[in-house]
Amino acid sequence: MHRYRLIAYKCKSCGRAHYPPANACPYCGSRDLGEIELPRVGRILSYSIVYTTPFEDKDRSPVVIGLVDLGVARLIAEIVDVKPEDVRIDDRVEAVFRRISVDGDTGLIVYGIKFRPVRTR
Amino acid sequence: MAYITGVGLVNVDRHYGKSVRKLAFEASTAALDSSMVESIDFIVVASSLSYLQEPQLDLASYIASSMGFRGVRSIAVESGEASGLAAVMTAKSLVDSGLASRVLVVGVDKLSDNPSWRVYRDLSMLYDSESDAFYTIGLGGVAGLLMRLYMEVYKVDRHTLAYWPALMHSNAKANPYAMLRFAITPEKVLEAPPVAEPLTLLDTFPLGDGAAAIVVEGKARGDAMAEIVAVESSTGYQSVALSDDPLRIESLEVAYGRLVERVDAMDVDVVELHDSFTITGILELEALRLAERGKAAEAVAHGNFSIGGEGPVVNPSGGLKARGHPIGATGVYQVAEVALQLAGEFPGLKVEGARGGLAVSVNAMGSSSYVAYLKAVG
Repeated sequence: MHRYRLIAYKCKSCGRAHYPPANACPYCGSRDLGEIELPRVGRILSYSIVYTTPFEDKDRSPVVIGLVDLGVARLIAEIVDVKPEDVRIDDRVEAVFRRISVDGDTGLIVYGIKFRPVRTR
Repeated sequence: MAYITGVGLVNVDRHYGKSVRKLAFEASTAALDSSMVESIDFIVVASSLSYLQEPQLDLASYIASSMGFRGVRSIAVESGEASGLAAVMTAKSLVDSGLASRVLVVGVDKLSDNPSWRVYRDLSMLYDSESDAFYTIGLGGVAGLLMRLYMEVYKVDRHTLAYWPALMHSNAKANPYAMLRFAITPEKVLEAPPVAEPLTLLDTFPLGDGAAAIVVEGKARGDAMAEIVAVESSTGYQSVALSDDPLRIESLEVAYGRLVERVDAMDVDVVELHDSFTITGILELEALRLAERGKAAEAVAHGNFSIGGEGPVVNPSGGLKARGHPIGATGVYQVAEVALQLAGEFPGLKVEGARGGLAVSVNAMGSSSYVAYLKAVG
């Protein structure tokens, strides 16, 4: 469950990490991979404020999507607990465990990692 | 050798009264008429969203049979936004290998018969379901953050990036197959409602329906419109987050590099590229080395790539921005448009005396890229 604990793979051949864990290293193709836990704090390289959201997320619009640099790996994830207009490039963010989607009243609730600013401005 | 001997286009629009099969039929019959042939031995169908929206599987055989081609060989190609060019590559391989001598390629998709929130959900499936699309990226979340990164890294302002949609709208005015045939100013782009900030509604393609078809033959004909010299492709990273430099579309750089290696003398007078968003078009110009890295937006603002401007003419059709982007059909539109230019028959903005041209397709922000080189015949 890499989505719950920020588990990535580190390639034993080229040494590079990637997230989420794939079947082979996206950089060198090696299948010799080992698990590592990513740092929970990183910074925003870039972000977008998304208004074109699917029906399930209509009440959450707009949603902030960030490209987050965790040092050994980068990922795209939602940025929460902040007003969209207050987000800035280079903001420090930390991983938090949040609900991703809800399938009606009786369906699955999917959880995963999102990021929030470390300090409020 | 593969030659285009006929093309057929349906104008991109909201065709509420027409089904996927009807649109495919209209484009196909127009292509067969223009090729002056009645029979084919293979049909290749390119479609992407229609599998989710119609819904219909094995679309190629249903389309073939509904057109009266029961008994023909058929195959469907789904490669997301690049489906159209992937289908053209398939058709070229079929005639090159001798497995077929005359292939009908038809691309078709419908976006307007569904509520927009559903289309946004379906379009997010073009991105990696295990990473980016796990979150609410909507229609343009990834493109939006790349545009902001471009502005930050290269110190380009939002206004400079608004010249691309203005150029596309200006080009589309004369194209009878374009969905948005009106001019806009760069200022209008900035004032439009946000889609995925800093992208606005006028940085994205309109949600329209369309179908395009071409007839591809293995034998030279005196009246052929163009030769498909080569089609190349490459896969890329699943997410821009994996790339050391997200502002490079590496899959397109690799595909184009392969194409250049395979073609002896390349004349690029016209390009139809995949500007799903303003930033995608800009990054593609740089991947094709038509502009230095970080300089493409400025070059467009300066008037390059327009008729009479520096460089090849890019997207005289109006591009995805203004011609429209019926997802799986788009690559077939592009190849048909380049063939029409090379034959001197494009009904919109003409690139006079064009000898060669490129069609470029990219899925998402580069999960895969395809590029075709066509040259004039005779």
